[in-house]
Amino acid sequence: MLRKIICLIFVFSSVAAFAYAGEKEFVEFSSFRTNIDVGKVRLNDDAWETVIPYKQPLQRQFLVAPMPADVGVKEVFLQSINDGKHIAFRLAWKDTTRDDGIKIMNFSDGAAIQFPVKKEPLPEFFMGEPGKPVHIIYWKAWRSRDHAEGFQNVKTAYPNMTADMYNFDYSIKGNGTDKTQAEKDIFIPGKAAGNPLSVSHKEIIEELSAEGAGTLASKNIENTSGDAEWKNGEWTVIFIRPLNVSDEKSVQFKAGEKMPVAFAVWEGSRMESAGRKAVSPAWAEVKVE
Amino acid sequence: MQMRKVHNWQLGRNASYVYPQHRPKKQWAIIFDLNKCISCQTCSLACKTTWTSGKGQEYMFWNNVETKPYGGYPVGWDLGILAKLGFQEWAGDKYSGKTLFEAAEKDEKILQHIAEDQDWAHPNIGEDEVAATVNKGDWITMPHRIWMFYLPRTCAHCTYPACVAACPRKAIYKREEDGIVLVDQSRCRGYRECVRACPYKKPMFNVETRISEKCIGCYPKIEQGEMPQCVTNCIGKIRLSGFVSTPDKSKKENPIDYLVHEKKLALPLYSQFGTEPNIYYIPPIHAPIQYLEQMFGPRAGAAVQAYKNAKDDLTLKGLLVIFGSMEKILSSFKVDKDNAYGYDEKGSSIVKVPLTEPMYVRDFHDKKLNAYRHNTP
Repeated sequence: MLRKIICLIFVFSSVAAFAYAGEKEFVEFSSFRTNIDVGKVRLNDDAWETVIPYKQPLQRQFLVAPMPADVGVKEVFLQSINDGKHIAFRLAWKDTTRDDGIKIMNFSDGAAIQFPVKKEPLPEFFMGEPGKPVHIIYWKAWRSRDHAEGFQNVKTAYPNMTADMYNFDYSIKGNGTDKTQAEKDIFIPGKAAGNPLSVSHKEIIEELSAEGAGTLASKNIENTSGDAEWKNGEWTVIFIRPLNVSDEKSVQFKAGEKMPVAFAVWEGSRMESAGRKAVSPAWAEVKVE
Repeated sequence: MQMRKVHNWQLGRNASYVYPQHRPKKQWAIIFDLNKCISCQTCSLACKTTWTSGKGQEYMFWNNVETKPYGGYPVGWDLGILAKLGFQEWAGDKYSGKTLFEAAEKDEKILQHIAEDQDWAHPNIGEDEVAATVNKGDWITMPHRIWMFYLPRTCAHCTYPACVAACPRKAIYKREEDGIVLVDQSRCRGYRECVRACPYKKPMFNVETRISEKCIGCYPKIEQGEMPQCVTNCIGKIRLSGFVSTPDKSKKENPIDYLVHEKKLALPLYSQFGTEPNIYYIPPIHAPIQYLEQMFGPRAGAAVQAYKNAKDDLTLKGLLVIFGSMEKILSSFKVDKDNAYGYDEKGSSIVKVPLTEPMYVRDFHDKKLNAYRHNTP
């Protein structure tokens, strides 16, 4: 048994070494310095036209079960610019189905960018590891639609659904109609429990941290803004954040330095969610010019 | 996917599971006597008004009652997973087929049937539909040629829950004190891995909160030593809840152990799935044995026979009349020739029920009120 384990460790470490050695040169792209105010850059501004898109191949998540047999998105095109204060990433990928509406078995399209909180020692590229956190900025199509049309709820998901009444929410005053929203929300468990997914947010990008698979946690800060558009069978999403923030567990960029980065994309109509996702095969690097 | 071996007494063998074997100190359980269920849905409504009356829970039924063979909530939950699992066999009391964990596809933890969106939109579809067409001149035989029965269902608070195994972030946990399985509402991220994985389809997605919810086993009542709402509100008195032991630790004075282990009258629902579910059913005596064996395992025929003979078994008869007679969980019971008695953990008396309801015959004419009494059948 022990020999078997040692043998396995050897096999895994050599595979990992090969992967890292191979990937080091495999992807490095630049965040170009620009004169425009990157904090205010829009999705389809001219600024992007002069930035070379870098093609990042994606593959199925292959480390933690359940793993998808295949994924819907096999490549994503990356662009990045910065102005010394803010940095913006623009991701574009083909997706013939726009999955931004909530239903019981609808899954949202999505994309995420992951950075190590500290470059040395570099955390495990898949969701970080204990003591070596990663910082993830995550866009979900559901949140874009919330932003454009109002927070989606059961009425928008099922307009023809019927319910006689809700507690403390009667057309005639009295019997608890004067209770506060928080008191009424006790009947909506996610809200009552303060789950960040159950309430609306200012930004369409969620910030999270993780120290290994299964430890993902919302950071409850909103330093990253964004915009997204689905057009002609393609999603384009931008993520904009300050190069430096006061939060210790957030990524800090420095001009002239490289920052490891990883990507993930979810195709909602294939029921991709959580670990059922397309990922970049290892850490890439972005050079902040 | 690396699996562990755990002992599953319902299958009479070790079986695969994602986590190592661990049993809680006590295990929540409900027994349902299907011969008595009339699908009045009082249980469903008792649950609904207690727990799922909020926005996003409109069509959510932690407890539901469906008509077998065709009814189901969500639609086709059982047919879907049975078809995927395919033909499997028992060798006597030992399951020789594959469980859902053992039949998992590559890179998956468990074999899944995924209910579609519209499957959740018809909570009581197929109600009262019978298994075949009634022809002119048909008469009733046992078992019935044209049959149906009602199947009330809650979460089974499985010993080896599929939802716990499937959740990638351990947002679902099984309580040490009573074996109740809960979704942590602050930790869930709405991935719906539990919704996909549970073969009984009891975790449900709330579109209002964007996270999943499930039956909580009425844990606040259990903590007070009381039975769940669906049990105590059952007007047909078909349910009994309490704690089930493993067969080697069966206590014959514990009413749950008595029916599950001693008499083997109450059988687990689709034990072949391999999650060791803790909802147990006394099978209906009029339905085809083949169907009951698929649903309740190889002991279904013997259980039907035992139920038919219950009138000659004083202890069993006494226990069956105690169903639905108290709110408190019974730790033990005893039966004498006149009454059945139930006791709590300290041995204090909780309930006393006569085996035969006393009958009172009153005069046709009430002299005091000067009124005539009518028999209204």
